[in-house]
Amino acid sequence: MKSFAELLNESAAAHGHLCPGQVVGVRMAMLGCRLIGLNDPTRRDQIKKLLVYVEMDRCTADAVAYVTGVKLGRRSLKFMDYGIMAASFVNLESGKAYRVISTEEARSLAGVYAPEMEGKSAQQLAAYIRMPDSVLFRVQKVKVNVEACDLPGPTRSKVTCTRCGQVVRDCREVVENQQILCKPCTQNCYFSHAKEVAWPDMNWTPSPVKHISKKDYTQRAHNLLHIH
Amino acid sequence: MLKKIKVEDAVGKKLAHDITEIRPGEFKGAAFRTGHTVCNEDICHLQKLGKNHLYLIDLAEDEVHENQAASILASNLAGDGITWEDDPKEGKIGLHADLDGLLVVDTAALAAFNMVDEVMCASLHSHTLVKKGELVAATRAIPLVMKRSPVERAAAIASQSGGVFSVKALRKAKAGLVITGSEVYHGLIEDKFAPKLIAKISDLGSEVSGVVFAPDDDALIVEAIRTHLDNGCDLLLVSGGMSVDPDDVTRKAIRMAGADEVHYGAAALPGAMFLVAYIDGVPLLGVPACGLYHRITVLDLVLPRILAGKKIGKKELAFIGHGGLCKDCPECSYPHCPFGKGI
Repeated sequence: MKSFAELLNESAAAHGHLCPGQVVGVRMAMLGCRLIGLNDPTRRDQIKKLLVYVEMDRCTADAVAYVTGVKLGRRSLKFMDYGIMAASFVNLESGKAYRVISTEEARSLAGVYAPEMEGKSAQQLAAYIRMPDSVLFRVQKVKVNVEACDLPGPTRSKVTCTRCGQVVRDCREVVENQQILCKPCTQNCYFSHAKEVAWPDMNWTPSPVKHISKKDYTQRAHNLLHIH
Repeated sequence: MLKKIKVEDAVGKKLAHDITEIRPGEFKGAAFRTGHTVCNEDICHLQKLGKNHLYLIDLAEDEVHENQAASILASNLAGDGITWEDDPKEGKIGLHADLDGLLVVDTAALAAFNMVDEVMCASLHSHTLVKKGELVAATRAIPLVMKRSPVERAAAIASQSGGVFSVKALRKAKAGLVITGSEVYHGLIEDKFAPKLIAKISDLGSEVSGVVFAPDDDALIVEAIRTHLDNGCDLLLVSGGMSVDPDDVTRKAIRMAGADEVHYGAAALPGAMFLVAYIDGVPLLGVPACGLYHRITVLDLVLPRILAGKKIGKKELAFIGHGGLCKDCPECSYPHCPFGKGI
């Protein structure tokens, strides 16, 4: 794993700014990975062993994701909307799992650890770098039951909503009155009043990619889209 | 786990904790110690202490008794120069100085330690001069029985930098004094500075190798400073000439003498015009004229720290500000007063 300073710089650049939450997130990820025995989680042989459950959608979550390399699209990053500054790190190979919680005391102690810094944010940032893990975090050893349909890898199930015809993947359907429904067709949906519309420039496509053989399509697509 | 029983039913049982007796103005201490087997004769005494029930303890695997917790905490709080005895009294363990010197407290770690639920530690202020055997701090677990995990967390916090408390011995310095001021140099008035400074230095166990008088002439002050350095002095005190008058050339002379680091101004009264400099690593303290009048000044705060090997810079002189205002009491009780007791 890279040094804390390197990880913090890179994470802050990826996130868009350096802030106390970034410091906490980078350290939380470093500690979590250490506890589950992964010393370089973004390395190819380790990345598939790792699941991370973040419990907040704050700066810290981005830092945790950056350092560990977990991603929503890889299904290695799980967002649990608890509003708690915590993340659980699961080693799928060993089954080891630890929940790392950012302490509230650390906020109160920022002034003691960085008394020379002016301003709350600068003081917290400096203090969170100086504090030992024992002050910054509490740790719980936890059991995480990872359902098969939550694991990374190919889609495990596809069903069709009996009301709207939408295909639902990975067991996210809901059964109501013995009817299979997608979540938008239930009452438990984040949007309402959905109405299909037309929009301007409906026929836009990206720059045409012509004469591309099937063989090197994937590589070209990666190059074009700067996917690494 | 705690089980409550009536005191009459406790005969033959061992006490789970010390039982404190307080006789106002006369005695406070353990009337009965942990592990004491209760006998018939004790019942009346216990009832007089207000004990109609007692606890029996059956510790679970993840629980610790307050005495065991206190031992774990004390062992991690204690750094160099601190001694303690594994004999908790009323759940408390005292930490004592193992030598004469300067108590140094990691105040951030102490604050973090005390933020852990159910443990506590209280201490003297950092930078207090202490004598061997003196109580400098005490710790305890607050409940009779507590979970092991917060004790271990508090212990980890306490040990983050080799313990929260340490006592640093003061080195025996060979000090050189430069007393500036043309009025003294030319004999217009009698010097009162040197005896005061010599007494302060001697009280801290160091010796003054020589006193050189210099007029308000930068070249002669430089010469006086260099003379002391050439004589092997490892601490320099230069008095006077620290103010803003045209005759005050001492600061300039200190720079000319080769000071590679100069911090002028301290957040203390008396002592605002105090100066700390370093010449080839040798600390030089510039003592303003307030030292002639006041019994205690910023010099009394800084000199012990210098002798304990602490580097004094801008930050240290600034942080003195909180608590750096002497109340100038008619009867000075320093060090038993707030002066210099901030961060």
